[in-house]
Amino acid sequence: MNQLKPPENRYQSRIWTNNKRLCRWHGAWAAATLLMAFGPIFLWKARVFTLLAVGLDVAAGVGMILGTKRYVMELDELHLRVWLNALGITVGVAVLAVPPLAVMGAYHVIPFHANIAHLMILMGLTFVVSLFYGIWRYR
Amino acid sequence: MKNRLKVLRAERDWTQAQLADALDVSRQTINAIETGKFDPSLPLAFRAARLFGLRIEEIFHDPALDKDRSSPAAEIKTDTRV
Repeated sequence: MNQLKPPENRYQSRIWTNNKRLCRWHGAWAAATLLMAFGPIFLWKARVFTLLAVGLDVAAGVGMILGTKRYVMELDELHLRVWLNALGITVGVAVLAVPPLAVMGAYHVIPFHANIAHLMILMGLTFVVSLFYGIWRYR
Repeated sequence: MKNRLKVLRAERDWTQAQLADALDVSRQTINAIETGKFDPSLPLAFRAARLFGLRIEEIFHDPALDKDRSSPAAEIKTDTRV
C-alpha cells in the first residue's frame, strides 16, 4: 500500500473530532446562556421570548451534557482517569466553597454579593487547572 | 506493576505512537504504562498480549508477588512434599 503520509493515530483523530464537537456544544450553550441573560435587557420585552430563550438554553445545555458524556466515554483509560480526577476535585472544591461564600456574602465580609456565577467561574478554573495538572503528571 | 512493554516494542522497532495506534490508545498512555506511572486495565492488557502474541503474565508482572513467592513463608505454604 502506497502511503505518502505517516499513519494517523486513530485514537488521536477520534479525540480531535470529539474535541471539536464538544467545543461546538459548549459554544452553543454559552451563546444560548448569553441570549437568555441579555436578551430581555437589550433585544425584547415580551415574556414569551424570554421563555423561548430559556428553552433554547436548556436544550443546548442538554446537548452539551450528552456531548460531554459521549466525549468522556470515548477517552482512553488514562485520559478518563485524568478527567475523573479533575471532575472529583472540581465537585469537592465547589462543595467546600459554597458555605464560606454564602456566609461571607451574607455578612458582607467580601465586597460583593456571592452568586452562582462566582461558583461557576471557580468550578471552571478548578477543572481546567486539575485537568492540566493531570495531563502534566502523566506526560 | 512492572512490564516489558518497552522491551517488546524495541524488539519490534516500533515507536510509542505506532504501539498506541495498534492498541487504540494515546501515546501518552503508552508512555505512562512504560514508565510505570499508570497500570493498564485488564482489557488493555489483553489487547497488548494479543498484539505481541504473549500471555499477560509474560508482559506484566507484580513485583510484590515475586517477593511473596521467594519468601520462606511462601515456600512452606506452597511445599506439597510429603
